[in-house]
Amino acid sequence: MGPFRLYWLKWIAAYPVTSAFLLIFALILLAALLPLLVSLLPIRKVPLTYNLRNLQVRWKTTLVTALAFTLVTALLTFMLAFVRGMDALTEESGHPGNVLVLSDGATDEAFSNLPKFRVELLPRDLQKLIPHYEDGERYLAAQEVYVVATYQVPLPRAGGPTRRFVQMRGLDDLQVAAAVHELELAQGSWPSASGVRAITVTGEGGAPRQDTAPEVVLGESIARTLGIDAGKEALVPGDTVRIGPRRWFVVGILKAGVSTFGSEVWARDTFIQEYFGRTNSYSSYVVRTADARTARLAAELLKEFRSERNLQATPERVYYAKLSQTNRQFSVAAYVVAIIMAIGGVLGVMNTMFAAISQRTKDVGVLRLMGYRRWQILCSFQAESLLMALLGGALGCALGSLCHGMTATSIVSGGAGGGKSVVLRLIVDFGVLRTCMTFALLMGALGGILPSWRAMRLRPLESLK
Amino acid sequence: MIEDFLGNPITIASLIISVASIGFGIYVAVTNGRLLLLGLKSLRRNLLRTLLTAAATAVLVLMVTLIWTILFGLEQMTRERARDLKVIVTERWAVPSQLPMTHAEYLRPGSPAQLPELRGMYGPDDFMLWSFYGGTMDPAKRDPANLVFFFAMDPESIIPMMDDMEGLDPELIRRMRSTPQGCLIGRDKLAAIGNKQVGDRFKLSSINYKDLDLEFEVVGILPEGRWSQSAVMNLDYFNRAFDEYARARRVPHPLSDRRLNLIWIRVKDADQFDRLGGAIENSSMFSARPVKVERASAIIGSFLESYSTLIWAMKWLVVPAILAVMALVTANAISISVRERRTEMAVMKVLGFRPSQVFQLVLGEALLVGGGSGFGAALATFVLFNGLWGGIPFRLGFIPIFRIPSEAALWGLAIGAATAFLGSVVPSWSARSVKVSEVFSKVA
Repeated sequence: MGPFRLYWLKWIAAYPVTSAFLLIFALILLAALLPLLVSLLPIRKVPLTYNLRNLQVRWKTTLVTALAFTLVTALLTFMLAFVRGMDALTEESGHPGNVLVLSDGATDEAFSNLPKFRVELLPRDLQKLIPHYEDGERYLAAQEVYVVATYQVPLPRAGGPTRRFVQMRGLDDLQVAAAVHELELAQGSWPSASGVRAITVTGEGGAPRQDTAPEVVLGESIARTLGIDAGKEALVPGDTVRIGPRRWFVVGILKAGVSTFGSEVWARDTFIQEYFGRTNSYSSYVVRTADARTARLAAELLKEFRSERNLQATPERVYYAKLSQTNRQFSVAAYVVAIIMAIGGVLGVMNTMFAAISQRTKDVGVLRLMGYRRWQILCSFQAESLLMALLGGALGCALGSLCHGMTATSIVSGGAGGGKSVVLRLIVDFGVLRTCMTFALLMGALGGILPSWRAMRLRPLESLK
Repeated sequence: MIEDFLGNPITIASLIISVASIGFGIYVAVTNGRLLLLGLKSLRRNLLRTLLTAAATAVLVLMVTLIWTILFGLEQMTRERARDLKVIVTERWAVPSQLPMTHAEYLRPGSPAQLPELRGMYGPDDFMLWSFYGGTMDPAKRDPANLVFFFAMDPESIIPMMDDMEGLDPELIRRMRSTPQGCLIGRDKLAAIGNKQVGDRFKLSSINYKDLDLEFEVVGILPEGRWSQSAVMNLDYFNRAFDEYARARRVPHPLSDRRLNLIWIRVKDADQFDRLGGAIENSSMFSARPVKVERASAIIGSFLESYSTLIWAMKWLVVPAILAVMALVTANAISISVRERRTEMAVMKVLGFRPSQVFQLVLGEALLVGGGSGFGAALATFVLFNGLWGGIPFRLGFIPIFRIPSEAALWGLAIGAATAFLGSVVPSWSARSVKVSEVFSKVA
């Protein structure tokens, strides 16, 4: 408790203005939500049917106000679904038992430069931590060369990109690497022993000629993106695609999943090294251990291991968690947009509620004379505002939920250079809906509090004059 | 400037809407000054509603201004210009581009190795090399706050070749030249790395060139805004570090022949760009490490492709939603106002006001509130953001900040007026159609 308290005290000392603002906001919020809580108590006597009838009678105003809530909530749902999709991508990429090794000093795979590697070179105690592949011979370890290649869109759409950056990963053994990363094939097969396929291409003058193409396996997302670029739904085994200086032959498609590997093209390391000027150079090693605890231990041992280059080893999950810097930035931006829009919406609700009250001062007088108390009047009008928020918010959540499962492009990065271009799926889960509904209700509560306060303050006899 | 202004459809549309709104105001004032006074009085009479509507419009205009500024900035960067094209030579097939330093000599004006086809095509002021050097002040705890990324470049290229550097004091260039380890750093970056001042020295442990740890001396500050988080160092100092490494260890640094990242060249026009591209891409000098020649705008466009969903959402979801909310807020306020003032409008008609004048009155009130608050909000956004932070501090890839253009005030006026018009046209028409007999029969 001590450090927790100290942390908040330090925070308040560092940001006194923000703290004061947050305190005032919290008090207003509490005051705004209090009537709702009170109205839920068994002693409630708030004339809710009166409010419902009023909303029904003034249906045009109700609809217009609720529509504003709908728009804000739908937009927030979309934005949070995007952020949630990015979060899932960085959370799900990486196995808890994997250790990722980069060259010391590199902040990203793109900047890492390592020599060839074999598990057998490691000390015995480290080797023991790395299990074998199902054949019992090969270790569950991969050495990988990662490049971002340029790719010309074959059939560019009007206004669309003419070029893309495609992430390619060269691996010494694709099957073992897939096992290390827990990936499986959805279609096709792994590259053959030679890793090259004979293809027929159209030569000069339109005459067909024989050529060879290195074999590749595509992530599910990139297969779709490259397929659309080529005028079809997705690339499938048997297709060829020109990336960088070569035409490549697609032999397999990885199973769809939520990870950054879905946006990558995998090939044999020697081809990537040769065609992209990375001869004898690797970007990373990934080794599998039994679990997260062993991964941490292995990372420590690998850091101490002296080889040709100093190594920087981190559990894979930690590495991908660091790539969530962009997610945080987008998340903050989403809330800033939503809050500013909400302020507009709140002011709109205030307008509606003030007008409603000025038109119904006589009603308030009658209610007071009938014995309703001040707080009940406050709750009554506040409930009206919250009902509009509930209606608009629910519609907004429903509308925003339509984006669930849609694909989007983005970038995940740790903020220190590098980063990975990814294709992600938007996720509308319970957490997103809960946040959006809470947001809508807060808008309603804040928008209704001042007008309800004014209604509460009306004197019965004066209001009947 | 004029080209930028006229090239942006948003600004053109804003200009048209603004002129139409102001024209409408002038028309009403000239033809029926009484109506204008009546409108002003009516707005004052329900001050709370006017203020709430204006405040709602203002905050939403602020948001649209911020978003349009980002979209406008991206559009400016990716727009293809007809003249003075900036061209970038990079590694042909991979990103990040990592070229050998010898490639620069085939392109450098005045170099004996320069490709003959390129001689005379561009001068020393049209040429710039960029190497990226990144380092941390605390190798034990690497953190974006203690990281500094340098553009290693010839100081002489800074003013003629880098965007928005025209106003840089030439004295700073002289200081960089005379101090090999001298560097220029943006004010925000200086503050982030421990409030360093001009004259301070610091050491960086490299994060992209292992064992090339360098010491720097701050000799000046880069202009505010776009460069406030950037840093520039001497290319000679950077190259010398590789020489010293090779001398000390008797082997070249592993990345020695991959230390040149970008080569910038400025050409006169598209025709010259084609000739330059052909000469470089077909040259045998680059066959071992192929290069490609592209317009800077095209490269930026490719980098921004990763943000395409975000840009699409800003353009086609967020902005329309905000505009719709604004129109709804105005529609609601004006509808309520019209409902409350039906008797007043009936009286106006009895007094001889024509239906079109009642329509103008209600529409005018909405336009005044919408346009006025929109203009004020955009102007305040311009002053506040540019004054405090040098623009909008929203990092998008390599772009750290977006400066709000002066035409944003025009956007504010247009957004406010247009949404007010959309929101009030139906209630205004309803006010125009108020039937005197019906209103008075109800009153009676």
